[in-house]
Amino acid sequence: MKLGPKAASAALILSASLALTACGGGSAAPAGAGAPAATTLTLGAVQEIRSWDPAQAHVGHFLQPYQAAYDSLLLREPDGKLSPMLATAWKYNAANTVLTVDLRTDVTFSDGAKFDAAAAKANLDHFKTANGPQMAQLTAVSDIKVVDADTIELDLTTPDPSLEFYLSQAAGLMGSPKALGTEGIKTEPVGSGPYVMDKAATVKDSQSVFTARKDYWNKDNQKFEKITFKILLDLTARTNALVSGQVDATLLDPKTGKQAEGAKMILAANEVDWQGLTLFDRDGAKNPALKDVRVRQAINYAFDRKTILDQVLLGQGTPTSQPFGKASGAWVEDLENKYPYDPAKAKALLKEAGFETGVVLELPSVPGFETQLAVIKQQLSDVGITVNIGAAITNTYTTDVAGQKFTSMYFSLFQGEPWVAINQIISTKALYNPFKTTSPELQAKIDAVQGGGKDAPKLAQEVNKYVVDQAWFAPMFRVNQMYYHNSKINVTPQIQQAVPSIYNYSPAK
Amino acid sequence: MIRFILKRLGSGLVVLFAVSVLTFFLLYISSGSIARNILGDQATPEQLAVKEAELGLDQPMPVRYFSWLTGALRGDLGTSWFTSEPVANALATRIPVTMTMVFAAMILIAIIATLIGVAAAVKRGWVDRVVQIGAIIGDSIPGFVIGIILVTVLAIQLGLFPATSTISPGAPASAWVLSLTLPVIALLINGVTGGAQQIRSAVIKQLERDYVRTLRSRGIGEGEILSRHVLRSAAPAGLTVLSLQLIGMLGGVVIIEQIFALPGMGPLAVAATSQTDLPVVMGVVMYTVAVVITVNLIVDLLNGWLNPKVRAS
Repeated sequence: MKLGPKAASAALILSASLALTACGGGSAAPAGAGAPAATTLTLGAVQEIRSWDPAQAHVGHFLQPYQAAYDSLLLREPDGKLSPMLATAWKYNAANTVLTVDLRTDVTFSDGAKFDAAAAKANLDHFKTANGPQMAQLTAVSDIKVVDADTIELDLTTPDPSLEFYLSQAAGLMGSPKALGTEGIKTEPVGSGPYVMDKAATVKDSQSVFTARKDYWNKDNQKFEKITFKILLDLTARTNALVSGQVDATLLDPKTGKQAEGAKMILAANEVDWQGLTLFDRDGAKNPALKDVRVRQAINYAFDRKTILDQVLLGQGTPTSQPFGKASGAWVEDLENKYPYDPAKAKALLKEAGFETGVVLELPSVPGFETQLAVIKQQLSDVGITVNIGAAITNTYTTDVAGQKFTSMYFSLFQGEPWVAINQIISTKALYNPFKTTSPELQAKIDAVQGGGKDAPKLAQEVNKYVVDQAWFAPMFRVNQMYYHNSKINVTPQIQQAVPSIYNYSPAK
Repeated sequence: MIRFILKRLGSGLVVLFAVSVLTFFLLYISSGSIARNILGDQATPEQLAVKEAELGLDQPMPVRYFSWLTGALRGDLGTSWFTSEPVANALATRIPVTMTMVFAAMILIAIIATLIGVAAAVKRGWVDRVVQIGAIIGDSIPGFVIGIILVTVLAIQLGLFPATSTISPGAPASAWVLSLTLPVIALLINGVTGGAQQIRSAVIKQLERDYVRTLRSRGIGEGEILSRHVLRSAAPAGLTVLSLQLIGMLGGVVIIEQIFALPGMGPLAVAATSQTDLPVVMGVVMYTVAVVITVNLIVDLLNGWLNPKVRAS
């Protein structure tokens, strides 16, 4: 067998063909990667949509693509204000237990079905039973009634101050009643939204392509002829795609952001998450020292938040002592710097509490936050608190949290609406209050928020003050989401979303 | 020969079965909060229970494994918990992308590594030294770093290639070739340098053997000695190295696909693992094991064909 000569000739042919394709690339690439027309928008999406069934929609990054295909009952403006969309007006009864919603009468779905009260009810009923990732949004809604052709009524078991907000989110997305529950809608959305999916150009795991729907009822929300969501899971891939002009906008991080800025990309920064310690075991069930509020406050005084932020996240964020977000309404200016960096005071508080030495804080390791944990360990040891970093959290960590496996933990959490945040980290039902800490005083404040209707955000400030005074957490900073875009488009950040709503993009003039 | 193939296929099936049992039980033991992962942290215990029943997580483990196995034997690998896409479909659309890349890289590695390895072994001297140094450099740079350098220089600065995949329906064949060129180069550099090293030493070893001296003393030309005798004897070592590289590449290609945003097995495997989408993870593991078994079988057959001594043993 004459391997050598054969191999040699094959190699020649192959290398020649490779060289040829490389040459071909020289002339072909500019055409392929060339400037899109002014009315096309290509976004680097950080996740693939799991199912286009509107009941499977999620929050944040996962909501934006659905907005191309589906209208929601309410529209959430970039600043968080709720405006009419498919609903023209909505109103609670005095007890905040019945929400009456008036609907538009001139809207059709892309399959021709008409949007009316029956369609809205079908969607809300479907959402409650479809086991989607946000099904908890309608937990408080017990029944949906059709009042007349363009009015529905939502009956609530208990008041839910977040319900109107939810109707601008996953729970409010309206799909064609004919398509709900079918297999087809999982791969091809059927909504009343500004765009319809171009099925032929859409490739799973690669891109979803949408074209403007003819005769869409609200041209203000339809600013492009074509929108492509290019799936780019990898941060490096997103950076490369943005700076080489393959996408118009995408989400990066502080480090890759520097590269994008070098390529003259524009930052639309927005604070969405907070990072910090949560001191779960405030009743001292497993770590008695944490029962003493002075110990928890000492932990708060031990951190030089500004320096940590500058070093670890290149200053992209704002140091804070409170867990509620600035845009939530529950934010209190005076709490922002409630616990300044003061190691001497931390030591004094520990001494006063009788814990001058011997306080040990067990923290699980959290992938991606190794640097933060190392700094925390250092700064707490400076005031005499020992930190033991345990094994990394895994896929089972929510069960571990609920099972009281951790007495405290470092994490990054979304900062939502006050009632959402209360049910996430403060109430006795909250996943991130696994030891179910509470007090009559706090519970009264929480109840006030729940029944507070329009005043709920303001009343939530009292909850915020309580948990900050009691040092339930040791927040570090709110973190900037680094959303970058090129100069072909304008982008308005959306509060509480790392990725803006689809309505917030427009072609640059 | 047929008996040999059947025997190897039989043992392959046993391995496949054993791996499936192990993977299934290891994965499901750590699957405590799947319903919570899907429904989010605001879900109530009742909602979690409904979801668990829907996914069959309330059944005992052996029952779940048996139902997965009977499905798998019929070619039904289950449905993704997160996307509701049948796992067999998910694999069928991604395997061609990954395999195109892996096979293109393998063919090029086989040819280039052989040429370089043989040249180094025969010429020795400076050629050998250059190959040796090149091998050390090539081996020490991970494929993904090569990928990032290639993108930065050839795609972003020079604009010769797309920075991430432009493969889409209706795109011309040139879009495929352009999208795959950089990933294939990133994949093959480590393989070429590693392969060339091994082939070089195998050839040198053969060249030092007595039979080569005997052939030379009979006046047979160097070219014929090399192509008819030495390469044939050195081939098993080369093939083994190549098969190991192919198997190793299945791991490397995951990262390369992420960097170049290619819709292959890599993103699927990463997403499924991080979400604990167990039916998909099982599918990916089964695919990987099947590839490894097939590659080993092919290498064994090729070795037997090239070298009768191997067949006899």
